Amino acid sequence: MRTFLLKRLPSALLVLLAASFLIFLILRLIPGDPATSLAGPDAGPEAVAAVRARLGLDQPLPGQYLHWLGHLVTGNLGPSYAIGGQVADLIGEGLGNTVELALGAVVLVIALALPLGVLGATVRRGPVAAAVRALTTAVLAVPPFVTGVLLVLVFAVTLRLLPPGGHESILDQPDIGVQYLLLPAVCLALPSAAVLARYLGDGLERALAEDYVRTATALGVSRRRIVWLHALPNALPSAITVLGLQIGQLLGGAVLVEAIFAWPGLGQLAEQGVLRRDYPVVQDLLLLLVAVYVAVQLLTDLAYAWSDPRIRWE
Amino acid sequence: MTTLAVRLPLPAGLRTVRGATGITLVGAVVLAGLLAPVLTGTDPTAQSSLALAGPSGNHLFGTDDLGRDLFSRVLYGIRTDLLIGLTAVPAGALSGCALALLSGLSRWADLAVQRVFDLLLAFPGLILALAVTAVLGPGRWPVIIVIALAEIPGFGRQLRAGILVQREREYALAARVGGASRLRVLLRHVLPNAVDPLIVQSAVALSLAVFIEGAMSFLGVGVRPPEPSLGGILSQSTAYLATHPAFAAAPLIAVTALVLGLTLIAEALNEGIRR
Repeated sequence: MRTFLLKRLPSALLVLLAASFLIFLILRLIPGDPATSLAGPDAGPEAVAAVRARLGLDQPLPGQYLHWLGHLVTGNLGPSYAIGGQVADLIGEGLGNTVELALGAVVLVIALALPLGVLGATVRRGPVAAAVRALTTAVLAVPPFVTGVLLVLVFAVTLRLLPPGGHESILDQPDIGVQYLLLPAVCLALPSAAVLARYLGDGLERALAEDYVRTATALGVSRRRIVWLHALPNALPSAITVLGLQIGQLLGGAVLVEAIFAWPGLGQLAEQGVLRRDYPVVQDLLLLLVAVYVAVQLLTDLAYAWSDPRIRWE
Repeated sequence: MTTLAVRLPLPAGLRTVRGATGITLVGAVVLAGLLAPVLTGTDPTAQSSLALAGPSGNHLFGTDDLGRDLFSRVLYGIRTDLLIGLTAVPAGALSGCALALLSGLSRWADLAVQRVFDLLLAFPGLILALAVTAVLGPGRWPVIIVIALAEIPGFGRQLRAGILVQREREYALAARVGGASRLRVLLRHVLPNAVDPLIVQSAVALSLAVFIEGAMSFLGVGVRPPEPSLGGILSQSTAYLATHPAFAAAPLIAVTALVLGLTLIAEALNEGIRR
């Protein structure tokens, strides 16, 4: 496992470095000068120049880039330009909420995909199979903002069971927090659950056609035992890879779901940062998202190797 | 063109129940959008004092918070979405295919092109949307550019995979042995045999376009009001879900019919190709 990590880490770090360079460049392409907008409409040229000097924006670009990298390495991210407060605090707060949402969604994805996938592979004909297939097709086809609005209409407006949006910390008040979490997490989880259920169903179907299943059946092993203990472990590795890819998608999708349900996470922070030209917030945030994506990929490879003993950690 | 229609197994796929349902759904929505000027005489941006009214004879779907007729807004919103999709999808498809062809020419180009696809896939799509909008300012063009960028890897990877398979077939090797240049084999022999999956991809891409347009509207960086778009009307309606749920009904139905229909068409075409 150590050699596995040692082999993967350098390329992961290289990706991060390239991403940081790209992010820095893209943000400098944005027209408009943050110093001018920060100094206010009535500020004279001296005031703008003072703001620029204070933020280090008068330095040449390579200097600014290295300065930023230095900040990243020391962990001292500095103050935000427009939103107010320290960048590290803003990101920490948003990250906690987004992780809460994403974790809730991942739990739901697994809880939904496992039974649906098994159902899809074992019941191949009849109304149940058709219903499962229609459900996954519909869930995949319809964009999350449609699902989100429908969820709010049904569960918040008509049935009045859950709040239509907002956030309460699940750590402070678990019973109330979970009510706020449920609708956004379902909305975020549904498409990924459908994808995973399909992959799992296909993999399971293939596994069930293998010789060892016929042997086990001939030996009198029960069908349920064959599905869960013989076929499922063989269908899991590819499903885990798909789950990893889906977790990457979840983080991107969270931006939209947060906007629909007024969830104060990283997505909202990114939206504010971009619209208010808060360079430090946006560049640290984008790099964090790329880093998380890279880390998820790495973990996926590890989980894949763990679930399939034939792959050695080399 | 006729020879193409005979060779392609596509129409057969569309004659299934699934294909016919998809065509009907998409056809109905597209027709409603195309006939918008005929179906309604009301200006979709004309405001009135009659805000948030329910459905009535004058306003088939009611009115929005500014008293604008929702029937004509939804119809013209469909037009906006179709226009955006039919501009952005071909642009993304052509760029993706051009990159795939480039990757078919040399090993180095292939490596570079694959990294480009990876990069486009790795960047969370909506973060890309925010970044592009930050550079260009909100409006119709950033939406089109974001959609086009998002479509590139889908088309590019499909075509690249097709080229890799077809290139090893006997007919391609025979053409190569016969003295045709690498470029000629690629364009005249391999490419025509690798395009079928791209037609399926087009249906998928159109529904992705509706998805991105709507998502950008929800993030406040979509098509700029007062111009109507399906996602724009829907996101506008969310503030009134508790008090005026009818507001959301028409855009919900239009978006759902459109994307569901496109998905059904894509699935039917896919079956047709595999058969």
